Amino acid sequence: MKPARTARTAGLLAGIALAVLRFPAPAGAAGQVPAPTTVVDSLNRSVSVPGKIGRIISLEPEITRIIVALGAGDRLVGIDYFLRHHDHLFPLVFPEGLKLPVVSNQAQDISVEEAVRLRPDVVFASPSEFRMAESIERKLQVPVVALASMGRFAGLLGEIGTLGQILGREERAAELVGYFQEQLRALDRADSSDPPGRRPSVYLAFWNSLIRTPVSYEPVDAAGGRNAASGVLPEYLGAAGATISIETLIAWDPEVILVQGNYPPTERRVSVGTVLRDPRLASLRAVRSGRVHYTFGFWYWWDPALVLVETVYLSGLLRPGAPAGPGLVATGNSIFEEFYGVEGAFSALCRILDCHEWTAR
Amino acid sequence: MKVRVEGLKFSYGAFSLRVPSLAFAEGRVAALVGPNGAGKSTFLKCLASVLPPGRGTVFFDGHDVAGIAGRERARLVGYVPQEPGLTFNYSVLDFVLTGRAAFIPIFSSPARRDDEAAREALRFVGLEDFGPRPVFELSSGERRLVLIARTLAQQSAVLLLDEPTTFLDPRHETEVMELVKRLAVETGKTVVVSLHALDMALKFADDMVFMKRGAVVAAGRPDDILDEALLRSVYDIPMGLRDVDGRRIVVR
Amino acid sequence: MSGRRDRRTTVLSVLAVGLPLVLSLVALNVGAYRIPPKAVFTTVAEAVFPGGDGPGPSPYADILFRVRLPRLLLALFAGAALAVSGASLQALFRNPLVFEFSLGISNGAAFGAALSIVFLGRGFPPQPAAFVFALLAVLLVVAIAGRSASQVVTILLGGVIVSALFQALLSLVEVFANPYALQSLVFWLMGSLGQATWSDLAVTLPVIGVGVAVLILMRWRLNVLSLGEEEARSLGLDTTRDKIAVIALAALVTAAATAVMGVVSWVGLIVPHLVRMAVGADNRKVVPLSAGYGAALLLLADTVARGAAPFEIPVGILTSVVGIPFFIVLLKKSGRIWL
Repeated sequence: MKPARTARTAGLLAGIALAVLRFPAPAGAAGQVPAPTTVVDSLNRSVSVPGKIGRIISLEPEITRIIVALGAGDRLVGIDYFLRHHDHLFPLVFPEGLKLPVVSNQAQDISVEEAVRLRPDVVFASPSEFRMAESIERKLQVPVVALASMGRFAGLLGEIGTLGQILGREERAAELVGYFQEQLRALDRADSSDPPGRRPSVYLAFWNSLIRTPVSYEPVDAAGGRNAASGVLPEYLGAAGATISIETLIAWDPEVILVQGNYPPTERRVSVGTVLRDPRLASLRAVRSGRVHYTFGFWYWWDPALVLVETVYLSGLLRPGAPAGPGLVATGNSIFEEFYGVEGAFSALCRILDCHEWTAR
Repeated sequence: MKVRVEGLKFSYGAFSLRVPSLAFAEGRVAALVGPNGAGKSTFLKCLASVLPPGRGTVFFDGHDVAGIAGRERARLVGYVPQEPGLTFNYSVLDFVLTGRAAFIPIFSSPARRDDEAAREALRFVGLEDFGPRPVFELSSGERRLVLIARTLAQQSAVLLLDEPTTFLDPRHETEVMELVKRLAVETGKTVVVSLHALDMALKFADDMVFMKRGAVVAAGRPDDILDEALLRSVYDIPMGLRDVDGRRIVVR
Repeated sequence: MSGRRDRRTTVLSVLAVGLPLVLSLVALNVGAYRIPPKAVFTTVAEAVFPGGDGPGPSPYADILFRVRLPRLLLALFAGAALAVSGASLQALFRNPLVFEFSLGISNGAAFGAALSIVFLGRGFPPQPAAFVFALLAVLLVVAIAGRSASQVVTILLGGVIVSALFQALLSLVEVFANPYALQSLVFWLMGSLGQATWSDLAVTLPVIGVGVAVLILMRWRLNVLSLGEEEARSLGLDTTRDKIAVIALAALVTAAATAVMGVVSWVGLIVPHLVRMAVGADNRKVVPLSAGYGAALLLLADTVARGAAPFEIPVGILTSVVGIPFFIVLLKKSGRIWL
C-alpha cells in the first residue's frame, strides 16, 4: 500500500463525490433508503458500507476528529482509549464525546463484547493494524474501513472526502477540503517570494524523545522548511518515526529544532529547555542561535484543524520575513471555528499547552 | 579419629532410620551391609552431615559434629558419593582440587599446597598421570578412583564411601577395595564403606554392620557375629557360609 | 596436550584484555559524525593532558566525551556483567543453558525498571526497583523448578514461565502508563545503549564494577558449587549462603545493566560457552575471560548497531539474531553433555 497512490485514489474518490454532488437528487429519493456504497480504503480493500449510517465506532483518533468536523459526531457510539482519556483537544471541540464508551485499549485491541453491544453500522480502524481490520470484520460481521492520512496532506484530504461520501456529508467534506487547500495556497503565495534553496534544515524531536523523528512531515515542507531526517527511511513509509543516534543529530546540525509540545508540560521529558541545556548539543547551530521551538506534532495521526494551524505557525517561524497576518491565536481560533464550530478552542488549547511560551522568545 | 553415634534418628516419608549406638575405630575398615532400602546410604549421609539428622548425636573424638562448622567438619570427615555429579568437563586435577574447598576461603583460589595435596591424592590412587585428562573421558572405574582421590585431598581423618564398588567389574572392584584397605592401614583413617556385595565385605572389612529396614541388626567383627541365621534374617533368603582356602565365603 | 592448552589459555587471556581495548579505540572513531583519527587523538590527548589554551569548544570533544565515551563504557561494563553473570549462573545451576535471560532475570529487571520509570518518574533511579524484581524472578524460577533445578529442561521451563509472567506484567504497566511515558519505554525495552547519559552511568558503572569483581573473586568457589548441593556441602561449603551470594550478585549486575539499556540478552549464554570450548570448564579461567570477551562482544554489537545505518538498530535485536540460532544448536546438543 503506498500512501501516494492511496492519496491519489482517495483524491479521485473525493473528486467523484464532489462531481456527484453537483447534480440534485432525483425527486422522491428522500423517501428511499440509500443504496450501499463501495469505498476503497487505505489498505486497498473494497468495502461495502450501508447507504445510511447511524451508528459509528471509530478506533482511530484522526477519523473520529474528522467525523466530528463533518458534523456527524452525534452518530458516534464508540471511540478509542486515547481520544477519550488522554487527548486534551478533543474535549474542547466535542465535549459530548467524553460520554462515549471506549471500545479499544492502548494495544489497539478491540473489546468485541462492547462493540457488539453498541450495534454499529460501520467500524473505522487504523490501517497500521493490518490484520486488525480483517479480524474485527470477522468478529463483528460489520464492515470495517481502514483509513489514515499516513502523515500526508493528500491522504488527509482524501480521507475527508471518503468519510464525507460514506456519511452522506459530501457537501460539508468539500467545504473543508476547499478551506484547507485555500489556506495552504495562501502560504504558498508567501513562499514563492523566497529565493529557492534557502529552505532551512529542520529537525523534529517528536514523541517525547530527542532521538525519535518523523522522516517526513508535510507541515514543515509546506511551511518552507526542509526535514533534516528525510531519506533516513524509505519514502513510502511517510511520517513513520525513525530512531537515530545523538551523533547523527549533531552531524546533521539542523538550523532549527522543533520539539513536540502537543501534550501537557508536566509530561515532557524533552522540552525546549532541556535541548538548550543539553551539553552534548552545545555546538549545534540551532542551539547557539536559540532557534529551538515547540510545535504541535501528532500522536495517533492528525487533527485536521490543528495540523493546519501548525502549518501556519511554522510558516511564521521558518520564514520570519513573511508579511504579518492576524496573530497566531486569532488565526487558530478561526480555523477551529471553521472545522468544529466552536469558538476560542485554540485559545483554550494554548492555555493547556502553555503556548504563550512558544513564540515569546 | 573415633566416631561414635548415639540415638540417631532420621526419617523421610515412610522410611525411618534408627541407630541407637554405634562406634567406628581408626585404622579400621567398617562395612555397612544389608539389602536395598536398608538405609546404608542414608546412614552414611547422616554421618557426613550431608543429611541433617532428625535426632541424636554423632561424635568425632568426643565432639558433637552438629557444633562443628562446615569447613571444619569437612576437614574431619570426607564423603565419597556413589556417582559424581558431572556437568562440566573439568580436568581430573581440577576435579580433585575441589576437594580442597574446606581449606580455601571464598574469595581465594588454590595455592601451591592445595595443588600438591591434589597431586598426592592422585598418586595414592594410582592415577598420577591423569591430571590433565578430562573427566568425561574416564572409565567408570577410573571415575571412582578420581572421586576417592578428591575426598583424599580433603585430608580428613574419617572417610565414608557410599557403595564404591557398584557397577565395577571384578578387577576394578578389587582395586578399589584394596585402596580402601590401604587407606585404613597406611594412613590410620577411620573408614566406613557401604557395600551390597557381601563377599567384598568379608574379604576386606575389619568390622561389619548389618542393617535392615533402617535398623542395625548386628555389628561387630565378622568372626564374632557372622552366622547363617543372621544372614537369613537380614537377607530373607537362605544363605550358607563356607570355609574355602582358609577364607569364609557366602553361598546362596 | 596440556602444553597446547596452556599456550592457548595465555593467548586468549591476552586477547581478553587486548580485544576490548582495540575495540574501544575503534568505537571512539566510529559514528555518524566524522572525526578524523588524528583529531580523535589530539582531542583525547588534550583532555588527558590539558595544554595551554587549546582551540575553543569543539563538537569533537562533545561527541567523544559526551556521546561516544559513555556509550562505550556502558557496553564494556554491561557486556562483562552479562557474560560473568551467565557463567556464574551456569556453574551454580549446573546447567549450560542457563543465563540471565532464561532465568527470567532480564524481564524481571525490565519490569522493575519500567515500574519505576512510569510511576516514580525519570528523576528516580530505576536500578533499585530493577534489582528487587530481578531477585524476585530468580526466586520464582527456583520455586517452580523445585528439586530438579539441575535438570536442563526443568529450569528453562521455569525461566520461560517467569519471563512470560513479567512480560505480561510489563504489558499491564503499558496499559496503565500514559502514552507520553509509554513511547520511550517501548523503545528502551528493545535494548539500546544510546539512551544512557553520564548521570545514569554514575550509578550503573560502579555497581557493575563491584559486582563483577566479586564474582571474579569467587570463580574457584564456583567449581565446587557446580558439583551439586550434596557434594558441595560434604566438601564443607555453606551452600545456601554461597548460592544466595552468587544469585544476588548475578541479579544485581544484570539489573544494573538492564535498567539503563533495556533487555539485551544472549551475551550471557554465548560468551561463557565459547570460552569453555576454548579453555575448558575451569571457572578460574572461564569467569575472567568471559568478562573480557563479553565486554568485547557487546561493544562490537553496539558499534555495529549505531554505525551500520543512520537510524539505530536496537542492539538487543542484533544479539538475538546471533544468540537464538546458537541457543537452538546448544539445546539440541544438551542431551549429550559435552562441555
